[in-house]
Amino acid sequence: MAKTPIGLEPVVGSLTSTKKREYRVTNRLQEGKRPLYAVIFNFIDSRYFNVFATVGGNRVTVYQCLEGGVIAVLQSYVDEDKDESFYTVSWVCNVDGTPFLVAGGINGVIRVIDASNEKIHKSFVGHGDSINEIRTQPLKPSLIVSASKDESVRLWNVHTGICILIFAGAGGHRNEVLSVDFHPSDIYRIASCGMDNTVKIWSMKEFWTYVEKSFTWTDLPSKFPTKYVQFPVFLASVHSNYVDCNRWLGDFILSKSVDNEIVLWEPKMKEQSPGEGTVDILQKYPVPECDIWFIKFSCDFHYNSAAIGNREGKIFVWELQSSPPVLIARLSHAQSKSPIRQTAMSFDGSTILCCCEDGTIWRWDAVPAN
Amino acid sequence: MDDDDNNDAGEWLSEKTRFKMAQVEEKTVSSKEILSVIDSLKKQVAADRSLSVKKRLEENSKKLGGITNHLYTLSNERRSSWIGDTDSASDLLTKRQKDALGMQNGIDLSNGDDDGYSYQEPSTAVLMGSSIPVKNAVRPIKLTEVKKLPPYTTWIFLDRNQRMTEDQSVVGRRRIYYDQNGGEALICSDSEEEVIEEDEEKKEFFESEDFILRMTIKEACLSDPVLESLAQCLSRSPAEVKARYETLMKEKDVEASKNRDIEAQNWNSFLEKDLEAALDSFDNLFCRRCLVFDCRLHGCSQDLIFPADKQNPWNHPDEENAPCGPHCYRLVLKSERNDTVRSPMNPEDKSNSSSDGVGAQISSKKSARRKAKSSQSESASSNTRNLSESSDSEIRPGHEESSPTPQLSPSKNKIAGKSGILKRNSKRVAERVLICMCKRQKKMTASESDSLASGCVSPTDMKLRSNPRKQSEDATSSSHKDVKSSNTGRYRKKDWTLKGVQGEVPPNETVNDLALTSSNDFSIREEFVDENLGKQELSDDNSWKAIEKGLFEKGVEIFGRNSCLIARNLLNGLKTCWEVFQYMTGADNKLAYHAASGVLSLLEGCSKYDLNGAMGSNEVRRRSRFLRRRGRVRRLKYTWKSTAYHSIRKRITERKDQPCRQYNPCSCQTACGKQCSCLLNGTCCEKYCGCPKSCKNRFRGCHCAKSQCRSRQCPCFAADRECDPDVCRNCWVSCGDGTASLGVPPQRGDNYECRNMKLLLKQQQRVLLGRSEVSGWGAFLKNNVGKHEYLGEYTGELISHREADKRGKIYDRENSSFLFNLNDQFVLDAYRKGDKLKFANHSPEPNCYAKVIMVAGDHRVGIFAKERINAGEELFYDYRYEPDRAPAWARKPEASGSKKEDGAPWSGRAKKLA
Repeated sequence: MAKTPIGLEPVVGSLTSTKKREYRVTNRLQEGKRPLYAVIFNFIDSRYFNVFATVGGNRVTVYQCLEGGVIAVLQSYVDEDKDESFYTVSWVCNVDGTPFLVAGGINGVIRVIDASNEKIHKSFVGHGDSINEIRTQPLKPSLIVSASKDESVRLWNVHTGICILIFAGAGGHRNEVLSVDFHPSDIYRIASCGMDNTVKIWSMKEFWTYVEKSFTWTDLPSKFPTKYVQFPVFLASVHSNYVDCNRWLGDFILSKSVDNEIVLWEPKMKEQSPGEGTVDILQKYPVPECDIWFIKFSCDFHYNSAAIGNREGKIFVWELQSSPPVLIARLSHAQSKSPIRQTAMSFDGSTILCCCEDGTIWRWDAVPAN
Repeated sequence: MDDDDNNDAGEWLSEKTRFKMAQVEEKTVSSKEILSVIDSLKKQVAADRSLSVKKRLEENSKKLGGITNHLYTLSNERRSSWIGDTDSASDLLTKRQKDALGMQNGIDLSNGDDDGYSYQEPSTAVLMGSSIPVKNAVRPIKLTEVKKLPPYTTWIFLDRNQRMTEDQSVVGRRRIYYDQNGGEALICSDSEEEVIEEDEEKKEFFESEDFILRMTIKEACLSDPVLESLAQCLSRSPAEVKARYETLMKEKDVEASKNRDIEAQNWNSFLEKDLEAALDSFDNLFCRRCLVFDCRLHGCSQDLIFPADKQNPWNHPDEENAPCGPHCYRLVLKSERNDTVRSPMNPEDKSNSSSDGVGAQISSKKSARRKAKSSQSESASSNTRNLSESSDSEIRPGHEESSPTPQLSPSKNKIAGKSGILKRNSKRVAERVLICMCKRQKKMTASESDSLASGCVSPTDMKLRSNPRKQSEDATSSSHKDVKSSNTGRYRKKDWTLKGVQGEVPPNETVNDLALTSSNDFSIREEFVDENLGKQELSDDNSWKAIEKGLFEKGVEIFGRNSCLIARNLLNGLKTCWEVFQYMTGADNKLAYHAASGVLSLLEGCSKYDLNGAMGSNEVRRRSRFLRRRGRVRRLKYTWKSTAYHSIRKRITERKDQPCRQYNPCSCQTACGKQCSCLLNGTCCEKYCGCPKSCKNRFRGCHCAKSQCRSRQCPCFAADRECDPDVCRNCWVSCGDGTASLGVPPQRGDNYECRNMKLLLKQQQRVLLGRSEVSGWGAFLKNNVGKHEYLGEYTGELISHREADKRGKIYDRENSSFLFNLNDQFVLDAYRKGDKLKFANHSPEPNCYAKVIMVAGDHRVGIFAKERINAGEELFYDYRYEPDRAPAWARKPEASGSKKEDGAPWSGRAKKLA
């Protein structure tokens, strides 16, 4: 990677914890023996803000956070295929408001679970290999994107079961796609990143008619004219190794590789020539011992703070939108030694969950300030 | 630096040395100052930076706050809409939530007794640090199994091969692999051949760097130490820094004047370009082989190859007399004729036909000359007369110099063509003007062509040259006489030109003059040119933009001297037929002027002066531009490095060292000799070559009459080529239902149908993609086919062998390769781009075979049926791996047919240390 020129250096956060907020372990669950890869709160429907889901092995489990550090198991789903290993899960809201869960993993099949009826709603077959991440469009929560090892990102309509768009081809990723995220306000825009070390921003503006068409499609889903989006609108080489997580922070992007840090940068596109542009790296949030891939961070609802685990079972909570970045807290526990694959921050950031390689779920609660 | 120590120890040094030391010290001190200046500036920049980041984050945060609040509202709406719509009791998730809440209250009472609920088969469980695995806490809901797809990488369908774009190359790029079993990522720098060629890109200076640069120099002046420390600070070379400073200073000056200029520059840029510039994108982007823009197979910036065989100018068959529109020159001329001349011979027809003929001649002459890539100015000379010929002979030495390979044969052509024209001209003269003049003209013609010949054969020979000069002098004087004999014509002509200058040509008035002009201009030209041409040129330049002139010249090339067609097809909306006609005759005059002045200047003995000299330089400029364009051609770097590793590839034959040769059209303009690139490369010349059809190295196609080109009796078939309707005599392509065929000469109508054009015509079978009976994906046939039937093409990305070696290593790790050796230059890779036939599996006893076939200059892979295949059968063919490189499964006969071995199950994402 080229040296950052003078005057464009990022602002790097200090690892000295400000202890702005203190967290304490309030619960620890052993879900099973297989590693847990994802944990996520439901931010789609305010009824379920305290409900979260985890995936690991062939299992999808739904929990609820209760007062006093209590966690209740609400539902548990098991794929009959024992070889399935789910890597990702996301909350979806069908057009009629039904809460759905969408999970995907090594089999490459997207499982859409109707949580309000406790049964499978649909299964989407199409990805040629394992699915590494699924995200929900917050403005239209029946749309999901999935990132896959087959080098594609696909947009699906959960309601009708249609694969609307495939983001792959001539300008697509050249290795597994590890992460994908919807822009919070620009409904056309997504960012994806993966093992080809790049972050790509895609626009579906020109294909939006297909998205609309997918809602009213009555014929077989396989008959839908699925389109290929072959060229991203922006390509960023911010990292020099696998990029395993990216999230929009407004118009900026937070992304991480295996370099012990999260990077906040601004994509500066050139109006005239799509696909080209420059990257302005604004801030860096160091995360020690975070040098293995497939570790994902999470943000609270308002993107005030982000939590990320590391290889040694510690969690770093960063204030995202202050400059320079502020380390809110560093969480460690004597018994937490296993790599933390993903964290989940509750709506207001007062609860942090993490799921670990050893199949445990940890709950940390903020100590009320007084 | 420890200059201070040196100073202490330097007491015993001579004065001289001490002086030197002092200098050094001074320098050090000042460089310290410089450093401090730079440091403070750096700090300032850093402070500015953190401030600007902060500001931008704040702005973004404000925006994001609004967005998340909106999302919050949405999530609240979902709750209320749900409650409004349906009975909440039917929502099991909500029910479980309530249950859990109730239970928690119960636990609180029972003080978290685990046993209290674990025996009652709970549908909800509340856990507080329990040791029971959660998975046993509630009864799981089963998700019925869905069969997963065989693995594949998302690929794009290609109906024809594509050349790899540079950004797709994996050569020179670091690739990180992770071991599927251990799950550990390892950075692989594969071997010694992977020397990362980092382009020393000229880094742009950023705003902040400019700031430091400017301010430092402002404070510490411009000196070497300043530049050095600046360079160090900015990690660049001092020279770079200096150059940047200079440009910065210049920019400052320019900035001020720029603002003023901007307004003035506001005109139509398109019309200001000359034709060559406008055609630049055409030359670069249009594929002459596929006849499409932005061809993905042959790429942009191909070598421009102009065929030596030029077609005759296009002639509209049924357009004899009909005027092309209200501004047609015919109408104008006609009305004038009606007024005055009333010639019984209906002269306009004659003049038309003759001018057309001349056009034809001219273009043939030009095509010969085209090689020298000059012609622009001359191409306008369609109506060349005696005098312009002499000017030609003057220009020629310049041509010969600039053309890389002087050849004698075309100059012969030229002479022939020219004398032909001259004869035509003289004929026309005879018909239209005085008969007495005719004789003189003829005489002159003869002498001129003589002079021309001598000029061509030995252009530098001064002795020979003096001869034509004299003759042209004669010619000049003779035409002088003519002019005098037709006084009226001359004066009228003057009138007309003056009007032309004013830019208004009221038809009624000028028609008269024009008629005479067109008939007499050759005779008056001499005089008229001397006196008025300067002005006339001016007016031309004003009303005819560069691009219009260029289009006109092209038009003459295409249509001959047919102003109707030129105006309609090329200058539509820009110029009327009448204007084109005027310009055409004007161009003649100009040429004559050039000729005359050329003659004069030569007589004066200053040969390097005047218009000819100007034209010479013009020539050079054009050529250099052309060269520049050629220089931009992106040639595929093809360096064969013997690498120890060879990836697994499919091949056509088992013969090891006879790959087909990639064809690249040669640019020979004559029959190909030893220099011909095709001959050197060992390929036949094809229809895309520059050489004439008579070239001995050309593949002649077939003359098959009955065999339908399906056996080795057909020379095309025998040479593994498809028949080409442009080349083969009896092979043609019909349109639609076959009753109305395009461009089929009547003698071929005996129902002969060539069976050797299936790839060209895409007459392929429907192939279905499905789960293979053997392993992974497989290709299946929809309909029954017979033996040797063409099934389809194996398409993919065309990559170099070097690229294929690198990619092959990656693919072999995944144990799935879609590489296919095509010829000595290219390998087909269907990994990310291809068609369904890429999924056909390998078998040692296959039912298909693959064959590389030359189709219109390109090698393509066709898959054919080896035997009769029934509908729904899976397709197999022998990949013909080289014995020592075959993957394990292909070596064992019992494991035949499986292309992809099921990789060991992924044991999870354990430590992926990178």
